[in-house]
Amino acid sequence: MGLLNRRTPTDSTEKVEKEVTIINRLGLHARPAAMFVRIASRYRCEILVAKEDEEISGKSIMGLMMLAAGQGSKLRIRAEGPDAAEAIRDIEELIQSRFNED
Amino acid sequence: MSTEPVIQTISSVAGQRLNVPVITVETFFRRHGKNLQLKLESGSGGLERRIREPTINRPGLALAGFYTYFAEKRIQVLGAAEQSYLKHLTKTQRHRRFRALCEAKIPCVVVSRGFYLAPDLLAIAEETGVAVFRTPMITMKFINAATIALELDFSPVVTEFGSMVDILGIGVLIRGASGVGKSECVLGLIERGYSLVSDDVTKIKSLEGRELMATAPELTRYHMEVRGIGIINVVSVFGIGAIRTEKRLDLVVTLKDWQELEEMDRIGLDRELYEILKIQVPHVTIPVRPGRDIARLIEVAAMDQKLKGLGLNSAVEFNQKLIGQMIAQSS
Repeated sequence: MGLLNRRTPTDSTEKVEKEVTIINRLGLHARPAAMFVRIASRYRCEILVAKEDEEISGKSIMGLMMLAAGQGSKLRIRAEGPDAAEAIRDIEELIQSRFNED
Repeated sequence: MSTEPVIQTISSVAGQRLNVPVITVETFFRRHGKNLQLKLESGSGGLERRIREPTINRPGLALAGFYTYFAEKRIQVLGAAEQSYLKHLTKTQRHRRFRALCEAKIPCVVVSRGFYLAPDLLAIAEETGVAVFRTPMITMKFINAATIALELDFSPVVTEFGSMVDILGIGVLIRGASGVGKSECVLGLIERGYSLVSDDVTKIKSLEGRELMATAPELTRYHMEVRGIGIINVVSVFGIGAIRTEKRLDLVVTLKDWQELEEMDRIGLDRELYEILKIQVPHVTIPVRPGRDIARLIEVAAMDQKLKGLGLNSAVEFNQKLIGQMIAQSS
């Protein structure tokens, strides 16, 4: 069964983890959550977002909103998959840009 | 600005080709003669004249000889005031003044309150080719009723390519490229107990610029074309409850192929409007993908629209609750 388990060269599993702080005034409300998901969904890797001991999928709007991540809260973002580094970089940039708000 | 909804308006292509219908005296008489209790007294030669403004004029000043400003495009009504004024003139004056009125380009004359026009005046109308009607209605009541009737007749009509369904009292126009599954979706809605107004081609009329009324073209009314089955009669197949003659338009739904949609609205905070005949109607775009129950989605969109009509916007309300909670936590 070696064939089934063999990985294709591009399918290298990167694992990236990063902590980011929400800096926009209103926090991760509906509109930023939608932007987050729009970017996260462009990547094949799995993206998980955690706040304190709650972890959800970064591709779920309802999940992100459930975190209720207000200004100043810290999110731990984990990505696993072939394009994990890129995904994390884009998401971090989005959060740093204050979701084009304020 | 972030929590403020962004409002985007799409203009209907159909709305740009305005066509105001031509209303002749004959059309007016045929459509409203019964309601307005009109009787043709003389001058049937004038039935082809056009009514050029959707309202009524009382030609008091004109009968007094003042024609500098005269609303000759409107139906002229002779009420009690005009009648008694004509009576008070001498016979020659009366003939001259009435002839002058008839020789203006008026559509027709209506004598209200059940008065009769003197035979010599009727002869002048006959001679000049002006139709004269009688109605027992009180002048003011006649003017009100005739103005409303004319206003409706004059409303511009456009043809929209889309199917119209009444969902729980919400009139929904379903648009989308051909083959995207409009008819299947309409069938699904009829099966759920909602009523069809029109399949594929819908006539939309603006009522005094306030709201839009949708109906089916007379020929295709209550028929549908379903790919693979052909033309079906909706009344015969589903019963009389499955149809409705006309319905106010409350919501426009555009079905789009999943792949064509780059960015779709996922939260519903922003509003999209669809403009038809200068009236803006709420609009939603629903991505279509095999296996998705589009009829069900349209049903939910209609119900959400109904909630919005009551002033309840689920997305806005939820977001306010969320923001409130985040602020409470950080302080």
